[in-house]
Amino acid sequence: MPVVSPVLVGPNTMSTAKARDLGTTEGRRRLTALLSAAREEFVVDVQRGAGGRVAHARFADHLDELIRQIVDAARTHTETPVAVAALGGYGRRTLCLQSDIDLLIVFDGRIGRPEERFVKSVLHPLWDLRLTVGHQVRVLKDFDQPERDNPEFLLALFDARLLAGDEAVFEPAQEKFRGSSVDCREEILEALLQLTEQRHEQSNYTIYQLEPDVKDSPGGLRDVVAARILLSFAETVTSDTMDRQRLDQAEDFLLRGRSVLHLATNRNLNVLSHDLQERVAERLRYQGAQPQQRVEALMGAYFRHARNVNRALDRAHRAAGPSARDTTRVALGLNLELTADGIGFVDRQQAAGDPASWLGVFEAAIDRRVPVSDDALSLFETYAARYTPLDYLPSSAERQRLRRFLRPRPGLYARLSEMHDCGLLPRLFPEFQAISYRVIRDFYHKYTVDEHTLLTVRGIERLLSPAQRSRERFSSLLGELRSPGLLVLALLFADVGKWKDDNHAEESVRMVQTVLDRLEVTPEGRQDVEFLIGQHLQMSRAAFRRDSEDPAVVRQFAALVGTEERLKMLCLMTVADVEAVSTETLTAWKEELLWRLYVDTYNHLTLGYGDEMIERGQAAVAALQATRPDDLTEAELARFLEGFPQRYLAFFDAVHIYRHARLSRDIHPDEVHLFLEQKGEVWELSVVTLDKPYLFSNISGVLSYFGMDILRGSAMTSPAGLVLDIFQFTDHEGFFRFNPDATPQFEKLLQDVVAGRQDVTELLQRKESGFRHRRGPRRVSPVVNFDNEHSQRYTVLEIVAQDALGLLYRISRVISRHGCDVDLVLISTEGNKAIDVFHLTKAAAKLSEPAQMALKEDLERMLEEGYETH
Amino acid sequence: MKLIKAIVRPNKVDDIKDALGKVNISGMTVTEVRGHGRQKGHTAIYRGKEYNVSLLPKMEVEVVVTDDLVEAAIQAIMGSARTGEIGDGRVFVIPVEHGYNIRTGERDVV
Repeated sequence: MPVVSPVLVGPNTMSTAKARDLGTTEGRRRLTALLSAAREEFVVDVQRGAGGRVAHARFADHLDELIRQIVDAARTHTETPVAVAALGGYGRRTLCLQSDIDLLIVFDGRIGRPEERFVKSVLHPLWDLRLTVGHQVRVLKDFDQPERDNPEFLLALFDARLLAGDEAVFEPAQEKFRGSSVDCREEILEALLQLTEQRHEQSNYTIYQLEPDVKDSPGGLRDVVAARILLSFAETVTSDTMDRQRLDQAEDFLLRGRSVLHLATNRNLNVLSHDLQERVAERLRYQGAQPQQRVEALMGAYFRHARNVNRALDRAHRAAGPSARDTTRVALGLNLELTADGIGFVDRQQAAGDPASWLGVFEAAIDRRVPVSDDALSLFETYAARYTPLDYLPSSAERQRLRRFLRPRPGLYARLSEMHDCGLLPRLFPEFQAISYRVIRDFYHKYTVDEHTLLTVRGIERLLSPAQRSRERFSSLLGELRSPGLLVLALLFADVGKWKDDNHAEESVRMVQTVLDRLEVTPEGRQDVEFLIGQHLQMSRAAFRRDSEDPAVVRQFAALVGTEERLKMLCLMTVADVEAVSTETLTAWKEELLWRLYVDTYNHLTLGYGDEMIERGQAAVAALQATRPDDLTEAELARFLEGFPQRYLAFFDAVHIYRHARLSRDIHPDEVHLFLEQKGEVWELSVVTLDKPYLFSNISGVLSYFGMDILRGSAMTSPAGLVLDIFQFTDHEGFFRFNPDATPQFEKLLQDVVAGRQDVTELLQRKESGFRHRRGPRRVSPVVNFDNEHSQRYTVLEIVAQDALGLLYRISRVISRHGCDVDLVLISTEGNKAIDVFHLTKAAAKLSEPAQMALKEDLERMLEEGYETH
Repeated sequence: MKLIKAIVRPNKVDDIKDALGKVNISGMTVTEVRGHGRQKGHTAIYRGKEYNVSLLPKMEVEVVVTDDLVEAAIQAIMGSARTGEIGDGRVFVIPVEHGYNIRTGERDVV
């Protein structure tokens, strides 16, 4: 076979002498040689890591020459003036080794058989060269009316570039494209934004992909093009020089990467997969002793460029949008202002020296549902490294502010992402730096560890207005949390231990200690965060890997979580964590398994806890005895704990337990020993007394009499008749606030009522009519349910009703009137919903079916009374 | 050649995989499914309200084996998936006409 030495010619040289012999073997061989030579030249560039913008453009130029020869040869078929133009990436001269060749053929006249022969004569040689060709054929008149129903084609025309044929055909066509782009500005913009949105949705709207598609992923080559088109649409003069430079740099980097992928796979494949990252890192000459280090350097550069593209795209989007002309500045106080660009500083210089004020920008951005301005972000980027965490959080006020900032709200993920991208988050929390851009290769994870972490926050945020109906059940749990900010805090630090390769949960708990110190989190909150981080994998393990229908599995899991609040937090954390792995991970199937485990565990904690009594020899009791204060004897503490449910140990810390034990000291019939303390807005009353009929009803009646709104609480009775009731309530009518002698008054009435010296029912008669009067329309349908299965000893009565002052008193009165003993009670209030669970016996046995029916009837009647009807 | 399709408890998949491995069956396909058999679901109560749980989460394990391995595969699956309680699942055996390797284009030898 004769060897043809190809001569690569410049883009403007037309070797017409040989053009007409392309139908011959020699002609075809010449085309093949030309393409091969162009590829070889490109490959040399790629092998030395220089397959970027210049190499792509040079390759496109060689293809131009090849196509010119083909077009020139094909001209023999038609007399009709014709132009052949490059579209898309080829039009932009960013043609890679395996890229599609997109062509536009425009005739100035009717398309008949000769013109069809021309088209075939152009396409067939290209197909013979095994090039993938996309082609559009039009007549010049077609451009008189823009193809409004084909906005993708209108977008492609942006890059049209004449390759061969008559300039007299292409120029008027191009004039018309330009006219179309003005006339159809809105359609083109909408199409561009829609296509971009669809692409981004497929990537879960994040640039931080472990295996990104350098073309289609957010921050990839398509976004570079989209940003440039949007900038060309921008009517205002924006300071976009920096963005244009960054887009050029990013494009060069992405093209260099893509050229290695095309060379390595010999396909039009643009995914920077794990197995190809090492090769790309090597070709692009990233440094590192080990391949993993070179890959991390490569991916660090990738994320930096992708982030620049993403931000440039956002800015270009705003510049092209209607608000771009809005130059209004609204002063927000504290050196903050709102502009069309978002929240920024009025005085940049002042802000640069006052890091404690920076959080205010993000707070204001969340409150007003706008982004942080580019100017403010670039200020943080410049100055963040100068300050320590203490500079950002110099006093308790700032620390409290940051804790408040972390509560789930719309926009929290976006603002945290801005904080992270500009480098502020790792300065505020150096612990977070350990997982910045951290890549962990496994079958499931699709994002870097830091992005996975931030996506868990987004998952929680999305539960505030869930898109799927099946998520509403988890949303309701979020609404019930007492401190949802703690959940976000736990999510942010659950994976910081992944800088180590094993046992990351334990390492994360170790690392979060400094965060908890710095933020001055309360001891209770601290325990919750440590628990959540330490156990954050346990619920998915129990739900997905164990038989969650097995009561033993539920019992063990209930013992692990201990309280309903922790169960809810761990459940939400698990949902967010699984969902953040990838868009496909949290299937309806997994959701169902998690929900079932949640429900079974919740039922175990609230309905089945009565049978699990504290035992003398158990480890938790031994621990309490070991740290017992001197004033408590071993026997005293043991006597106090004996017969209370295990749940008590999960809900109260040692300080509370010792206090309760002291209250039980020397208690006699009709006596009440109590402890009252205020915790912020909430009061907590601990009462120890000896059991007697109507006791629970009387105590809750006294609280109602003083206008206390009971939020949550519990009541326990030991087999020896010792009663411990704990109520948390708000001082609804300000009794404690406005009366200096409120506490003694309260104590005296409670003593008198329990001893039978005062009848609380009489005291409440006036108030009760008041309660009914205040009840508005009913929003919660009452539910009264008996359960004789969950507990061996008790009938469990569960009541869900609209919360109202005095509700607990009225319910417990009805129960007592039916001769039932209230042995255990759980009280909780979630929004306007009261959820009360009573463990009952009657004559020391479970309630019979008729007794349940009779009580149910009376309770339902009582709960129906007094609501407004509409 | 037979397709063995087993509907099992979700937590039993790893045990089944191990058991099949012991009889030299390594390829399997696992799918998350929901359904009910004789259990017909059950009623669950959450905060006093009953709701019917008719479709229970299960895993479907599919294995294609040559005829001489069918019995061993069935025993491996049943032995590792059984708890003795209602809801252990089902195993179906379905004839397969041919199998092909997509990469090589080769037809499986039966």
